[in-house]
Amino acid sequence: MSDPPPEACAADHCITCNDDGVPMTVLRLDAGAGLAECTDAEGGRSAVETALVDPVCEGDRILVHAGVAIASLPAEVGA
Amino acid sequence: MKFVDEFRDADLGRAGAGEILSLVEPGRHYKVMEVCGGHTHSIYKYGVDDLLPSNVELVHGPGCPVCVIPMGRVDDGIALAHTEGVIFTCFGDMMRVPGAQGTLLEAKAAGADVRMVYSPLDALRIAKENPDREVVFYAIGFETTAPSTALTLKRARAEGVANFSCMSNHVTIVPPLRALLESPDLRLDGFIGPGHVSTIVGARPFEFIPADYGKPVVISGFEPLDILQSVAMVLRQLAEGRCAVENQYTRVVPYDGNLRALEVMAEVFELRPHFEWRGLGFISHSGLRLSEAYADLDAERRFSVPGVRVADPKACQCGEVLKGVIKPWECKVFGTACTPERPIGTCMVSSEGACAAYYNYGRFARDREVV
Repeated sequence: MSDPPPEACAADHCITCNDDGVPMTVLRLDAGAGLAECTDAEGGRSAVETALVDPVCEGDRILVHAGVAIASLPAEVGA
Repeated sequence: MKFVDEFRDADLGRAGAGEILSLVEPGRHYKVMEVCGGHTHSIYKYGVDDLLPSNVELVHGPGCPVCVIPMGRVDDGIALAHTEGVIFTCFGDMMRVPGAQGTLLEAKAAGADVRMVYSPLDALRIAKENPDREVVFYAIGFETTAPSTALTLKRARAEGVANFSCMSNHVTIVPPLRALLESPDLRLDGFIGPGHVSTIVGARPFEFIPADYGKPVVISGFEPLDILQSVAMVLRQLAEGRCAVENQYTRVVPYDGNLRALEVMAEVFELRPHFEWRGLGFISHSGLRLSEAYADLDAERRFSVPGVRVADPKACQCGEVLKGVIKPWECKVFGTACTPERPIGTCMVSSEGACAAYYNYGRFARDREVV
């Protein structure tokens, strides 16, 4: 599991506590682990659990909260 | 990314404000509650309320996951963190929430092994890296976050991670809304429904609000134009004399939610008979605990947890703020004894909290002048 993006829990804003959803793009799948390496708009990367939105493919856009993809997004649409 | 700037377009915002103005009756005062703290944060970050007519008031609801955790549960977490051999993990904001025994951050300073995590999966990773230690994940959040905890517990079970457990403080959104609607001191005209919670539960659970209470609900996205459009949709329903659940956030929220997430939550969690909410008291069937099938991963059963109820600080009026009865600046300690740096109440801890949103985005000075 990669480290969280540095802004994830900054002093004035915790994106996990705050129910934020982060739009990310799937870069690479690790089907055996049920995880996908994903990137956000700023280039931050993290491993994301995809069980709730499977099947996903490389290039798919997903909404991520607390390390889990909670919804699929239409291509190139913000959340 | 496309379509982010578009949702923050100033001209479209002014057009939306004009539409809202055309929908209100002069002389009528409208109170619309945004349920989700994420909306509260966006409203003050982008100044959405400045675009509304003076007779349209946004009331900030109880949808901030950190703000509703009572002091006793914080103290329970601190006691667990001080347990010999425990690595205590939680989200960042939670570390600054004050209980009667201080904060988890202070417990860390006093020697407890308290670690901030970004997701429950990070806590599980810490457990796998420290097989000789007990790793406790202190779970908070509404239905947006509960599936992540549930999936992590399933993964811990599947991978045989025996030194991992969870203290669940997960809560559900519908019971407090019903409690608010039954509250005699609060009159609301409609609701801006929570966007990301609805990604999981869908729009259907909110149908009781128009059906039983005759008030409109609009599930909303989090960009400023989303919120303006949602306010307009609520006002349009009122102007047309109807009430229904409408979904403004269709690009993300399916009407039926995420069925797989609901299934995994039903497998791992069960409803508590009652759960205490900061400022709101005990609300029936509003909290989630681990189900019998996952009892072995329940930190409250694995360890001795004090479970002492602690009354909210007398000076703090988070309860009235969470119910929308008073505005943050009307609290006696707002901006003086209670600040984001040294919060007394939970609403000042998280940026989703109404008090912190007022304080951080300049409402403090402006509203004090108005008062």
